[in-house]
Amino acid sequence: MRGKTLLIRLAALAVVVAVAAAMMVIGRGHTLYFDNKTIENYQGQEYKSFERVVVTVKGEEVAKLGKRERGMATWMGQSFKMTLEITENKGDEPRTEEISMKLPYSVDGIVINLPAYLAGLPEDAWFSEFVPQVETEPADDEPLPGEGGEFGLEGDMGLESDMGLESDMGLESDMGLEGDLGA
Amino acid sequence: MKIKKNFNGLDFLQNNLVPLMFIIICAICIPLSGFSPSYLLNEIVTRMGRNIFLILSLLIPIMAGMGLNFGMTLGAMAGQVALIFVTDWQIWGIPGVVLAMILSVPLSALLGLMCGKLMNMAKGREMILGYMMNYFVTGLYQLLVLYFMGSIIPIKHASIRLPRGYGIRTTVSLANMRQCLDNEFAILYKGVKIPVLNFVIIAALCLFIVWFRRTKLGQDMRAVGQDMEVAQAAGINVDRTRIISIIISTVFAGFGQIIYLQNIGNFPTYTAHSQIGMFCIAALLVGGASVEKASIGNVFLGVILFHTMFIVAPRAGVAITGDAMIGEYFRVFVSYGVITLALIMYEIKKRRARSQGGELLARAQREGGVQS
Amino acid sequence: MSKSERLRQTQFGQLVNAFGLPRLIITGFLIFLFIMAPITGSDLSTQITNVINRFSWNAVLVLAMVPMIHSGCGLNFGIPLGILAGLLGGTLAIEMGFTGPMSFLMAIVVSTPFAILFGGGYGALLNKIKGGEMMVATYVGFSSVSFMCIMWLLIPYKNPSIVMAYTGVGLRNMFALDSFYAGVLSKFLEIDLNPLGINLVVPTGSILFFALLALLVWAFLHTKTGTAMTAVGSNPIFARASGIDVDRIRILSVILSTWLGAVGVLVYQQGFGFVQLYTAPQNMTMPAVAAVLIGGASVNKASISNVIIGTFLFQGLVTMTPTVITALIHTDVSEVIRIIVSNGMVIYALTRKTEGAK
Repeated sequence: MRGKTLLIRLAALAVVVAVAAAMMVIGRGHTLYFDNKTIENYQGQEYKSFERVVVTVKGEEVAKLGKRERGMATWMGQSFKMTLEITENKGDEPRTEEISMKLPYSVDGIVINLPAYLAGLPEDAWFSEFVPQVETEPADDEPLPGEGGEFGLEGDMGLESDMGLESDMGLESDMGLEGDLGA
Repeated sequence: MKIKKNFNGLDFLQNNLVPLMFIIICAICIPLSGFSPSYLLNEIVTRMGRNIFLILSLLIPIMAGMGLNFGMTLGAMAGQVALIFVTDWQIWGIPGVVLAMILSVPLSALLGLMCGKLMNMAKGREMILGYMMNYFVTGLYQLLVLYFMGSIIPIKHASIRLPRGYGIRTTVSLANMRQCLDNEFAILYKGVKIPVLNFVIIAALCLFIVWFRRTKLGQDMRAVGQDMEVAQAAGINVDRTRIISIIISTVFAGFGQIIYLQNIGNFPTYTAHSQIGMFCIAALLVGGASVEKASIGNVFLGVILFHTMFIVAPRAGVAITGDAMIGEYFRVFVSYGVITLALIMYEIKKRRARSQGGELLARAQREGGVQS
Repeated sequence: MSKSERLRQTQFGQLVNAFGLPRLIITGFLIFLFIMAPITGSDLSTQITNVINRFSWNAVLVLAMVPMIHSGCGLNFGIPLGILAGLLGGTLAIEMGFTGPMSFLMAIVVSTPFAILFGGGYGALLNKIKGGEMMVATYVGFSSVSFMCIMWLLIPYKNPSIVMAYTGVGLRNMFALDSFYAGVLSKFLEIDLNPLGINLVVPTGSILFFALLALLVWAFLHTKTGTAMTAVGSNPIFARASGIDVDRIRILSVILSTWLGAVGVLVYQQGFGFVQLYTAPQNMTMPAVAAVLIGGASVNKASISNVIIGTFLFQGLVTMTPTVITALIHTDVSEVIRIIVSNGMVIYALTRKTEGAK
């Protein structure tokens, strides 16, 4: 009996851990940036940008790129799929391509150079990591706990001081609603 | 039949004083605020979706006779810690919410265990102890989030770290999981968005609570809630039962806070939890619950009434006095006032019951003395 | 184990029992801070001045805990009520046009009827809920503070130096007392060693005032009513049996606590130099409660020496940690330490078994 309960508990724990691990894989979010930019000199070759590329992700048109433009999309998980509608030169009939690729787990922002990718070049030609600029200025307007208030006692004792007026349930929601109804 | 015979207007009034008062306040304030019915309805439905889970977490300790669990804030803090990690690891959407919930469990269970053990050392003073635990654990939370995160615990993204290199910024953005639960399967009906998934989760918790009441553990809890000594004599491990009830409550509060914050879409790192206990308890009491008795119905009624008041009070305050701040202070006053009133009524009732018990005992002893 | 060792152990055990482990740790920590202060390069005499000053501001508020603990009403989490009476007294005295030391005196005089009124009502309420005082007290404090938030806006104050600058309606969040009662006590008989090159200032007047009040409370506790109060606190059933009107004594203790709270906040303001309104009174509860507990009081026992030791330890901790610890580890964790220590202290007191309670 005792052994059995232990077994059940361990199994339950294993299930929970497995779910957590699965969530970490399927929920990992990436931001993708698509460049429609000419690569001037990759091993002596030039890969010209397209006249026009329409990027569709999950049935939603996320970017319509002219020459030297950049588009953006978000994606959860590592197997990324998109549909490209490419017009190579002015006046050409657009062709459609389904593309699926594996995204590296550890990279947040991924820049893909479309002309290079579609030309079938190796990864280092079309892949680069997008590194956002780190804000150096203190962007926070609220004081940290313990700052301000001389000696600390005049500040908030155990954070009671804001009687729920800023963080309450009433104020933030307003922003939320408009966004939803619009979308 | 029997119920009808025993129906007493005064008793009814006394038992439902707070909800009735709130209905009157809302009835006065709604027309004054000038909000359209669809706006008001939409607001209330949204708030029900995000708050009910948190408030439901209060029910089990009440069942175990431990009063209003002011220590639910501990769970909220655990939920926030989990959300910070999930944000840093860039897990988005519903998987992010699920992962945060899983991560919050060990932490909130540990805090619940600590809280429960201390409450067992302070029987009869559980509420004030839970209340003080908020502040004590807030200190620990600050130590963890403001000093350890980024220095001892790795935080990868500079966007959530303070510019000084360690500690978390005052606001954590949950943009990538904002309203992911609310929007999944949401139904838009005449300008009112119904967050179906939220309500499904809430229904599941309600079912759990109903089921739990019938289990052996749930029965034990009720026995402990009625009389600890009798329960002990009946062979129930009182201390353990009480600790379990607090752990369950804390864990659910952690889940509730995650659901709540995913709806808001960001949270003030150091203050998001501080008022949550107060609001949830006030809402529960507004729904007609008392310190020793609360039902799922109380939770729903309470959320509707309390939040209606919360939405309309500032605008109504402007309409009446011309000053927006008065409405703001008024709703805070009412929330505190309701809790005060409920606590006073509970203590008076408890005292009356105790003195009645004493009288009975005394009479029995006297009669026994006469006979012998 | 040799006999002397065992003896030493029991002696240490007795010391811990008598003094309380947390208090021992805090005392040790404070001594450590005092030793470290010169080493880390901060001026010890400045530190001592700060500690003494903050002691003089807060001591009366801590003293306000004593009567209620004595009569068995528990820790006075409802002290905001007394503070509100003090704020009403102070603002009304200024509104009436008093300035200088006279305004301080009038502030006390005006706040007294409020304190009696609030304390009386509050005491009567607490009599109805014996055994559950602390939780109710906390929320009575909250609701009265938020109620007064509305009142500060609605009471038609006129004095331009205290009402809001733009609209002229409602009191300001915070205003300076320079032309009113700032420093009326602390400047009285002040000892200032700065001319001698030592940065040491002792606010003699404030300390004397506290000593006077402490003496009065001590003397009161030794009168017939005072001993009755102690009896009610330690054993209410016995007290009732010996013919003491328990309820009346309890109300009296609450009124006394509330009045001391009112005077306490005025003393605090004259030292601090500013009046803080609206939600500020809430933030004064925990320091006072924590201080008296650190001083060795329990939920149902407190003495004047607990007040003095506790205020000194707590304020010492609050004042010294920012400078010394910051200098040591280059991180300002003082706020967190303060929160953990003060609230941990209250939790410790609540979880201790109290004899004679209930």
